Amino acid sequence: MADFSVKLGRLWLKNPVLVASGTFGYVREMAGFFDISRLGGVIPKTVTARSRAGNPTPRTVETASGLLNAIGLDNDGIDHFRSHHLPYLRTVGTAVIANIAGEDEDGFVAMAEGLGTEPGLAAIELNVSCPNVSHGLDMGINPKAIRDLVERVRKVCPYPIIAKLTPNVTSIVEVARAAAEGGADAVSLVNTFKGMAVNWRKRRPILANDIGGLSGPAIKPLALRMVWEVHQALPGLPIIGVGGICNVGDAMEFLVAGASAVQVGTATFGDPTVAGRLVDELGGCLKELGAATVSEIVGTLRSNKS
Amino acid sequence: MSMDHPGGFAVAPACAFQRVVKVVANHQVAHETFQLTVDDPAMAASMLPGQFLMVRPPGGSDPLLGRPFALYEVERDDKGVPTGISVVYTVVGKGTSALSRCRQGDELSIWGPLGHPFGLPPIEGEVLFVAGGIGQTPFLALGRWWLGRSEYGGIQVQQPARSATLLYGIRSAEMAAGLSDFKAAGINVELATDDGSIGHHGYVTDLLRARLARNERPAKVVGCGPPAMLAALSKLVAEYDVPCDLSLENHMACGFGVCFSCVAPIRQSDGSTDLKRVCVEGPIFAAHDVVWS
Repeated sequence: MADFSVKLGRLWLKNPVLVASGTFGYVREMAGFFDISRLGGVIPKTVTARSRAGNPTPRTVETASGLLNAIGLDNDGIDHFRSHHLPYLRTVGTAVIANIAGEDEDGFVAMAEGLGTEPGLAAIELNVSCPNVSHGLDMGINPKAIRDLVERVRKVCPYPIIAKLTPNVTSIVEVARAAAEGGADAVSLVNTFKGMAVNWRKRRPILANDIGGLSGPAIKPLALRMVWEVHQALPGLPIIGVGGICNVGDAMEFLVAGASAVQVGTATFGDPTVAGRLVDELGGCLKELGAATVSEIVGTLRSNKS
Repeated sequence: MSMDHPGGFAVAPACAFQRVVKVVANHQVAHETFQLTVDDPAMAASMLPGQFLMVRPPGGSDPLLGRPFALYEVERDDKGVPTGISVVYTVVGKGTSALSRCRQGDELSIWGPLGHPFGLPPIEGEVLFVAGGIGQTPFLALGRWWLGRSEYGGIQVQQPARSATLLYGIRSAEMAAGLSDFKAAGINVELATDDGSIGHHGYVTDLLRARLARNERPAKVVGCGPPAMLAALSKLVAEYDVPCDLSLENHMACGFGVCFSCVAPIRQSDGSTDLKRVCVEGPIFAAHDVVWS
């Protein structure tokens, strides 16, 4: 039996298959579809300090092999999350990684400190990369802000810290390095790419928010490039690969490119049981590579130019 | 979020499942409109009128997402045992276009049953279904259920409605789908068309208004169709104080409550408005709770 477990800084996962924040609800919505405990972990929808109504509709539009969304962090706030969702999440039988977004650095720190007192979490993922809220990207594109934020969060929260980074930057390596310097246990690469869909007859954007974040298979090559680049530059920084993963082959591509774990995101919308199937199929792929563990294949991609 | 229907039926997504099924039939029933039947005895045995399922060609990435369709009818064998699910759809984009090319024996990925079903009928009452566009699709099964003609999900209505009538608004006569199905189910049909090619020349809500003005007051109205029609219907039933439920058709990405695309503004008991996910908290809402901008 192959060893599927992976270690990302202080975070241990029984297997590398996670589900991305914002694509798996608060997990209870998914419980009927498959045995959630088979996953390496779950990341519920981003929670903010106060409840947020989110953006007007239409909030999503399907594009070629992709999905453009501008949900706007619709959620009931951290107090509701702690009292209503956390008790259920503690029962799902796998690692629970809470995903938080603060309005500013203090907001992040306060939420992380609160969650740090809650039992039963595996890690905290900092959403410093939402393209659909006004403050979201400001912090995510500023390496110094990310370093300071991760540093402060680590001081108040005992859980492993993951920074989920935006791809909407000139140098993803620079931002990832800042997260590492701040003490992040891992980085999630990447959140959605800013994009737009247009109805030319009406001469209007299709999303009520005009622009949104693109996800799905359309962005997989872009995400892979970023994972590969960051792994080359910062081989000691654990990476969670996310972007367009729809099958086990996609997941394997991220793992060999340098990710220690992956998140299945948009694929769940059009194939609700996909993440569970991916766990089942991982063993066959490892065997094909003659590997006994997941960790021994991570980052084993060799350049054609070397 | 409530997972339990007021009637006590366990509902999706707690009991939803996904599987790959075979197409039994996919034939044209009106202009750009098709009836698709898939083979799935388990879903057929558990689905209730008002619920929906998501359908998508398996594998591939374009189209990437499923498309939501209301239960049109549960197909049954000679002994009445449920064997499959039928839905009726109009081709509007690449998802429905891809579906329209499916042939018998092709595979489709489906997940459901999703959403809350309709409740039980007003006992011995007259019910009116008001449909616009492709909004007639939930009303065949609902009519059969409420008239006591067929069980759904193992539930036989013990005290059926006295009569059911479909007021059906479409662009023109060529869009009329399944009229013989409704008639065979004992549901009366009155048509309204935008171009006057069949039935009343005008809005489907004109038909309801005329009835209400004549003091022909139904025990219950149920509406499904485009937002402008539902907004007009809500106003009309409020004016005459007639109980009315709506089945909303909001744009969905997942169908089971995780994407937060399909939210609609719903009036809460304290008078405030909250955005609710149509897929898991609906798609059926009381007309007086839906806020129209």
